[in-house]
Amino acid sequence: MKLIQVILLISLIIIIISYFRWFRSAVFDKILIAAIFFAGIMFVIFPDFTTKISSFLGVGRGADLLFYMAIVVFGYLIMLLYSKIKKLENQLAELVRSQALAGAENFSVLKKDDGSK
Amino acid sequence: MEAPKIFVIVPVFNESKVLEKIVQNLLACNYKIIVVDDGSTDNVKEIMKNYPVIFLCHRLNIGQGAALQTGMNAAKILDADIVVHFDADGQHDADEIKKLIEPLLQNKCDIVFGSRFLKDENVRSVPFIKKIILQTGRYINWIFYGILLSDAHNGFRAMNRKALEKIVITQNRMAHASEILQLVKKNKLRFQEVPVTIHYTKYSQQKGQSIFNSVNIIFDLIFKKFEK
Repeated sequence: MKLIQVILLISLIIIIISYFRWFRSAVFDKILIAAIFFAGIMFVIFPDFTTKISSFLGVGRGADLLFYMAIVVFGYLIMLLYSKIKKLENQLAELVRSQALAGAENFSVLKKDDGSK
Repeated sequence: MEAPKIFVIVPVFNESKVLEKIVQNLLACNYKIIVVDDGSTDNVKEIMKNYPVIFLCHRLNIGQGAALQTGMNAAKILDADIVVHFDADGQHDADEIKKLIEPLLQNKCDIVFGSRFLKDENVRSVPFIKKIILQTGRYINWIFYGILLSDAHNGFRAMNRKALEKIVITQNRMAHASEILQLVKKNKLRFQEVPVTIHYTKYSQQKGQSIFNSVNIIFDLIFKKFEK
């Protein structure tokens, strides 16, 4: 086993442990992360795998294939993060709104005088 | 028949300089006013204490769309029959509200959009760049939602109770104008456009939308399609 393989394996294991330890989320996310994790391990232990897959897919080198895949995965992650942020923003708006409505001091002012238009 | 309850929602963000004048104008026309402060850092709260308006305060700055929805929630609680959206930067004319809500009172439609492009004398006052942006905007709205209005992002609009129930703004920032169109389409609300005057003061120009923000709006709309 080459040194780079050891380094990559250790960092992958650290990432996966910290993911399950601190960033737990939906089941689908876990399965996806686990799949990426095992694929990563396979690629590290058997580097020829990537070459085989990439030649099967029509990409020259294994490293190129990984690069392309990384772009796709990052794109997906950005979308995921964006939608999470949007969701949080909406929850925040809901919170601020309910507080604003609860704190309305002079609702009574307009409830009383109904004579106007 | 009982007189309809008309509420004017004014979302504000650091506009106390001009807000007072606007509120005075609106009060002179005898409308009920809901001022929604979207996390302003100026003394808007002190100023509004002197006026018989409903004052709602967002503790944080969330965006104009969110502020409008807060105002609409309040209007629902207060049994509003008609709700008017009114910008706080002095672009709109309080006197024109009467004209705007006319089709609602006659039950000709559920929502009325103000348009600055229906009258020649109004069109002339629109700055050139704005014209181009708004023209592009209306076609983008048309592509997204299938409704082609003459004006894309006019903050001056009015709706009846039915539309008030159906329209719930989730676009917190500026894309709410397009979101309203989407909800009009989805709920098959009857709509109409009424010509209004937009006053392009130096102040409103500064506070208004920059070109770059229209790019933001488009992105908000595209990403909205990915959500849910």
